[in-house]
Amino acid sequence: MRLLRDLKYTKTHEWVKVEKNKARVGITDFAQHEITDIVHVELPEIGKQVKKDQPSAVVESVKSAFDIYAPLSGRIVEVNDNVLNNPELVNQFPYEDGYLFAIEISDEKEIDSLLDADTYNMLIQ
Amino acid sequence: MEKLLNELSSECGSAYNVGSDIEINVEIPENLKRVSTLGLPSVAENDLFRHFTNLSRKNYALSTVFYPLGSCTMKYNPLINERIAKIKEFISIHPYQPSESIQGVLEVMYDLEKDLCEISGMDHFSLQPAAGAHGEFTGLLIIAKYFKSIKQKRTQIIVPDSAHGTNPASAALAGFEVVSLKSESDGGILPEKLKEILTPEVAAVMLTVPNTLGIFEKNILEIADMVHKNGSLLYYDGANLNAVMGITRPGDMGFDVMHINLHKTFSTPHGGGGPGAGPVGVKAFLEYFLPVPRIEKKKSKFVLNYKKHKSIGKIEAFFGNFQVLLRAYAYMKSLGGEGLKNVSQQAVLNANYMLSRFKGKIDIPAGNRCMHEFVLSPKSLLKNNLRTLDIAKRLLDYGYYAPTVYFPLTVEEAIMVEPTETESKETLDAFIDTVIKIIFEEMVQIPQKVKDAPVNTSVRRLNEIEAARKPILKWE
Amino acid sequence: MDYTQQNQKDKQKMLETIGINDVSELFDTIPENLKVRSINVSGGKTEQEVLDYFLNIASKNKVLISFRGAGIYDHYVPSLVDEIVGRSEFWTAYTPYQAEASQGTLQAIFEYQSLICALTGLDVANASLYDGATSTAEAALLAFRVSGKRKLLLSSALHPEYIQTLKTYLQNLKIEIIFIPLSADSSVEKGFVDSFNNDDVAAVIVQSPNYFGIIEDMKFISEFAKKQKSLFVAVVNPLSLGIFQSPGEYDADIAVGEGQVLGSCMSVGGATLGFMAVKKALEWKMPGRIVGQTVDKDGKRGFVLTLQSREQHIRRSKATSNICTNASLNALAGCVFLSGWGNNGFKNLAVINMSKARYAFNKIRFLEGFNTKFENQTFFNEFVIETKKDVKKINKVLLKNGILGPLDLSNVGNSFKNCLLFCVTEKRTKIEIDKLVELLAKI
Repeated sequence: MRLLRDLKYTKTHEWVKVEKNKARVGITDFAQHEITDIVHVELPEIGKQVKKDQPSAVVESVKSAFDIYAPLSGRIVEVNDNVLNNPELVNQFPYEDGYLFAIEISDEKEIDSLLDADTYNMLIQ
Repeated sequence: MEKLLNELSSECGSAYNVGSDIEINVEIPENLKRVSTLGLPSVAENDLFRHFTNLSRKNYALSTVFYPLGSCTMKYNPLINERIAKIKEFISIHPYQPSESIQGVLEVMYDLEKDLCEISGMDHFSLQPAAGAHGEFTGLLIIAKYFKSIKQKRTQIIVPDSAHGTNPASAALAGFEVVSLKSESDGGILPEKLKEILTPEVAAVMLTVPNTLGIFEKNILEIADMVHKNGSLLYYDGANLNAVMGITRPGDMGFDVMHINLHKTFSTPHGGGGPGAGPVGVKAFLEYFLPVPRIEKKKSKFVLNYKKHKSIGKIEAFFGNFQVLLRAYAYMKSLGGEGLKNVSQQAVLNANYMLSRFKGKIDIPAGNRCMHEFVLSPKSLLKNNLRTLDIAKRLLDYGYYAPTVYFPLTVEEAIMVEPTETESKETLDAFIDTVIKIIFEEMVQIPQKVKDAPVNTSVRRLNEIEAARKPILKWE
Repeated sequence: MDYTQQNQKDKQKMLETIGINDVSELFDTIPENLKVRSINVSGGKTEQEVLDYFLNIASKNKVLISFRGAGIYDHYVPSLVDEIVGRSEFWTAYTPYQAEASQGTLQAIFEYQSLICALTGLDVANASLYDGATSTAEAALLAFRVSGKRKLLLSSALHPEYIQTLKTYLQNLKIEIIFIPLSADSSVEKGFVDSFNNDDVAAVIVQSPNYFGIIEDMKFISEFAKKQKSLFVAVVNPLSLGIFQSPGEYDADIAVGEGQVLGSCMSVGGATLGFMAVKKALEWKMPGRIVGQTVDKDGKRGFVLTLQSREQHIRRSKATSNICTNASLNALAGCVFLSGWGNNGFKNLAVINMSKARYAFNKIRFLEGFNTKFENQTFFNEFVIETKKDVKKINKVLLKNGILGPLDLSNVGNSFKNCLLFCVTEKRTKIEIDKLVELLAKI
């Protein structure tokens, strides 16, 4: 299972890359593996305000659908259109080309609630 | 491989024709006229006949194989019902004919309602819903309207996690919030656990009895009492009614609203996915809310009454799936009350016989007895990277339709078997032997063959992942 | 006759295997006070007795020569349709969950979807819904799901039972329905549409031909819907699409309707066929089952149920719809029906419907005491006539002569008092129409 040290994580298996006031979000390698072959992704609209822990995207396999929760509150400023047409990117490159969306962070304090790689790693063991 | 219609299409001509004894007279303003090509195929009748006949031969059907599809009650579809459903004086009838010219239609519907009341212990039925899920939705709208009428704001519906997916979906569609109730290992629910979430917000609790693991809800009276004391209503999902006809009645258990899947319990064919019928039954105090029209008898004449101002309204156009209703009613007239009771007894006997033969070999999470169906969990037996899905596919090679798999969601690697009453011991034995052979011999000795199954069907295992990733949903 | 099979010997063996003496022990878990002794349902008849019983009941119905439509139509059903729909491999199969053992049903649905797309000019069709009314309601729900908006703009000329069904479906969802008023000549009031402005409208729903038989200016309404950023839902009679503009041509987002005209008999209005087609962008939001083409592990073409994660068995309370059982066999009838005409044949069928209706229209409107309700409107196979004569008497006389006369529209509203909705399909002969006219003239 691949884990990147410089990312933050959530209990619900999202990863977060904080870039100044922006947070890039995707699902972890562990999550994509559990979901198996991803066939469809639903993304939020750009400009939408999301609250921390609010379902904000959906990742679907042939026989299941999983809500993806916003790890931080803020405004959606970017979505990865590529995964709409090529959902397999989320399986292949969960931390790179398979990211889902980016949030403009509205409350930086919330970042402290995210998990570091070691803690997340313990969670999935 | 059977060609597609657009590949069969040629300039040779078409199958059907139509003539007119009246002069052709159409003037269509340019802005309303179709200019794009229709894109319909041209195929001669002979070729079309072959095409569809060949397609039909690629199906496993109840008329060709044993179909132990749990939760679907794939019992024999008596042919007399089909014959009756084709009587001209039933099918060549327009729904807006004056009621004096459709007395036969109304009589069938009126008497069917009465019989359903007797079987279920409810006081009134509406035959309008077109399917089980449609019946659920209707029932939930009735519940919503009832609480509105007594000015109570109740926003939640409790649904066990072992329930059919239609339950929570129907509740959401009816505007409710769904609260999931964790069921026990036998699919049953513990009154204590229910009590914890049974708040004044709860409009109704939806239960399937026997539940989706084939177990009768033994605490049903206590549950009903608890629900009613809370001011909530109790909804009965009639998908599993085949287990208890003539033995016990939802109405007597304390259910206030229910639906029946006529295409399961009452033998009407499933048609490859429909049409079905999902009549909704209610206790007397909810009658006002049933969909319109209601069929009433006035001095030995049947009439349609649309003037019910408390009704939820219409749930589809016209009166429901009459042809399906007709078949179900014909079935009842063949069997009668005693016959229906025998159906349930035999269905439960068949299921328990199968269960007993599997007992000790394959894990049965709900225990040693069941009603009309049971769930196996072969998880501990799975070897060589094989799964329940592989067992299902291998069964196809032996000429069986596969049981329901991966449902209920609460049982891992579930295989849900429902034999129904219309199968012989010989058929059941042969099926059981085959399942045992696949799990205990083939999975061990020839795992690759199981993984590669099916090989005897018109196609081999299909790529569902690519089908969903890059959908091709019509001719290219 | 209960179709069970076990003889006493088998039963005994089964009981022994289970380890019980009597079947009743299997019902031990049911509390005694809940058990019933017997149920009072008459029956237990032989096959012949059952048939006679139903033939007798059937004889209380009258098969009439129909000049009534209003949602259900008396069309000719070609022999091949009955033959194929009557094949037990189709009618005794379940929903095609095990794709490899259900290729017949799956390919037939795929062909049906393709034919509905061809007819409507849209990109994706589902495997069927219950009927025209519920498919209209599902279209509205789809629009709310996609847009998050809370209002619906609805043509007043939509079939009244569709309007009622829509209201029932939406009654707890905090949706506001706004009606587009009717113009004097029974179509959508363009003036209202021109001046309407509201950005919270999820969908504009208009039927064409409308309840009164009139072909609406769908292009005009579609453009208006686009301006509002609303989805445009066209409720259409599929047969009329042989000659009239398709939803694809006027850029509708969703087309729905009643598919009974495609090879299903009237059967008192059920079971029929609800169809739905949408633009590609909406495919993952559609309700109902959808079949897709794929390949098997040998690379051979095959078909599967797809986009399933939309559905209730997976997404439960978050599903796009609660629908499970649909109208598959009627969709098969539709498939066999649509595949046998060819472009010219199908167009011809529509043309003949229209011609016969116009023939009747031109005869009736010039009868004394009868008048057309609208001038200069284009209609398909239904039209409204206003009369000075006693409407009840008209239909009574016709009924006596074995004719199902026009629908009395007085329930629709005051402006339709003394109005009659006639329908003439290809099935009606010149002799039948002339007889109708003759009887009307005499009243």
